[in-house]
Amino acid sequence: MPLIAIKDLRYAYSEAGPPALDGLDLIVDEGEWVCIVGPNGSGKSTLALLLAGLAMPGAAGMAQACGHDLLTASGRLAVRRDVGILFQNPDNQIVGSTVEEDLAFGLENLALPAAEIRVRVDEMLASFDLVELARREPHLLSGGQKQRTALAGVVAIPRRVLILDEPTAMLDPAGQSEVLAALESLRGHGLTVVYVTQEMDEVQAADRVVALEEGQAVFDGSVAALFADAALLQRLSLGLPQAACVALALRERGHHVEPLPLTMDELVESLGGAR
Amino acid sequence: MRDALSGEGGIAGGALTCEGVTFSYDEGRSRVQALDSVTFDQPAGCATALLGPTGSGKSTLLQVVRGLLDQQAGSVSLDGVTADDPRYEAVRRQVGLVFQMPELQLFAASAFEDVSFGPRQLGWPPLQVERAANAALASVGLPVERFARRHPHSLSGGEQRRLALAGVLAMRPRLLLLDEPFVGLDPRARRELVAVLATLRAEGAGFILATHDIDLAWQLCDSRLLLDDGRLVGAGPWAFGEGGEDELVAHRLCPPFFVALWERLGRPLAEAPRSAAEAAEALA
Repeated sequence: MPLIAIKDLRYAYSEAGPPALDGLDLIVDEGEWVCIVGPNGSGKSTLALLLAGLAMPGAAGMAQACGHDLLTASGRLAVRRDVGILFQNPDNQIVGSTVEEDLAFGLENLALPAAEIRVRVDEMLASFDLVELARREPHLLSGGQKQRTALAGVVAIPRRVLILDEPTAMLDPAGQSEVLAALESLRGHGLTVVYVTQEMDEVQAADRVVALEEGQAVFDGSVAALFADAALLQRLSLGLPQAACVALALRERGHHVEPLPLTMDELVESLGGAR
Repeated sequence: MRDALSGEGGIAGGALTCEGVTFSYDEGRSRVQALDSVTFDQPAGCATALLGPTGSGKSTLLQVVRGLLDQQAGSVSLDGVTADDPRYEAVRRQVGLVFQMPELQLFAASAFEDVSFGPRQLGWPPLQVERAANAALASVGLPVERFARRHPHSLSGGEQRRLALAGVLAMRPRLLLLDEPFVGLDPRARRELVAVLATLRAEGAGFILATHDIDLAWQLCDSRLLLDDGRLVGAGPWAFGEGGEDELVAHRLCPPFFVALWERLGRPLAEAPRSAAEAAEALA
C-alpha cells in the first residue's frame, strides 16, 4: 500500500485558466526520497500544496496520502498531522518571537504537556544546530538559519511525510549548504520525502525523480536515467550538473565519457584523475 | 542592438570610482553598518561581479552608486564627474539599476508602453523614445514585432524579467547595475538572460552584477568586488592561482566549478575555463 497515491488528478485554479494539474499520476512508497522537477508552470508547487492538504475546489481524480483522501475536507484536516511542508521563503514561516518559541508552537497546538514540549524542543535545537540561537528573534537570523528553524518546527511534530517546495531557492550558497546538511540528517529516520526543486545538483540525493510538464508526469525513474535523457532535459529546459555538461561537450569533440558523470568526483575519475 | 547601447549617453561610458563610501542605518535599537569605507575603481566597459554573503551590503552599495541612498561619508564619481560638478546630478541619473524581482514593477498595458516609460520621463522626443524602446526590446530578445503589444502579465517569468531589464536599457545608461538578476528563474530563463548579458559584455557595456551564483559570475564577468559585512575585502580582476580561491573560501564562498575542477586536475588555475565548451576544448 503506497503512502501517497495520486491517479489522473486534474485541477485548475480558475475555470478560464489552463489546468495546473492535468491527469497527474504519482505513487510514493514509505521511506522513499522523491524529487519533483519541471519547468515553471508545470504543476510542481500545486502538487506540493495538494499533498500538504490545501483545498483544491473542483479537483477531479484520486489523491490519497497516509490513508487520507486529499479531496475531502476531513481528509485534508487529518493529513496535516502526518504531512509537513517547508516553503521557499524563509521570511514567511516563522511565527514565534524566538526560535524556541517557534519550535514549540506546533507542539502546543497539539496540547502536549509542557514537559514533553520542552524535551522535544531541546531535541530539535540540538538536531538542527540551533542551540545557540534558541532565544534569538527571527528577524535577526540569516536566511539559512530561518529555514533550519522552519524545518525544525515542521519536524518537531513527528511526521510521516515531508514536502519541500524549493527550500533553498531564496538562500545564498552558505544557507543552501546548511539546509541541505540539515535535510541529510533526516535520512534514515523513516521519513518519506517529496522534494520539489529547480536545482539539478540537489536531485542527486533522490531515490527517484519525477519530471512534470504541463500538469502531468512525463518521466518517473532514476536520477541517472533522467540525466541520460538529453532530449527530455532540453524539452523541459532542465539544467544538467556542470560535470555532465563538460562530459557532453567532450562527447561532441569525439571523446566518449561513459557513464555520464554527475559530480565533479565522477568527472575527475572518468578523466583519469589529476594529469 | 548597437542602437540601444552606443551613441550619446550609451553604456560605453561609465567609469566609476567609489572612495571611502560609508552607509549605516538604524534598525530598532541598533545601528547597522551596511557599508564601511568602500573604495574601488571600476573602469568603463568592465563587467564586474559583486559578491558576498546575504547581508554583506551588495544591494546597499548598488543603491548608493545609483544615488537612491546618500552615503554618510565618502564619494561616488562617474566618468570623473564629482559631487561639486554642476553635471553631477545628471550624470548620476545615467546609472541604470535593475532591482531584484524587477518584474514586480511592470505596470503598463503593453510591453512597448512599459519600456518607453523611462525615455518618455526623460523628456526625449517621441521618435527617439520609439527607437530606444524598440532597440531595447530587441537587445533582450523580445523583438518588437512579436512582443510590443503583449501585456506584461501574459509573458513568462523569464520574459518579464527581460522586459524589466529592457525598461532600464531603453534609457541608455552609462553603467548598468543588476541586483541578483537570476533569482527565481528556471534554467531556460536563466540561459536566456545570460545570453543577453553576454552580448552586452561583448559590445563593451559596463555592468556590476550582484549575484550569489559564483558560476554565472565567473562566466559573465572579468573582475570581482567582494563584500563581507559591509567591507570590501577583494577587488579587481579575478585572481585564481594567486590566492583568489582562498579569498572566496575565507569569506564563506565557493570557487567556481571550473576553477575547482582545474585544481582537482592539477592544471594552472589562471587558465581555468569559463564554460563547459571551453573546458572540453582544453581537455580534449
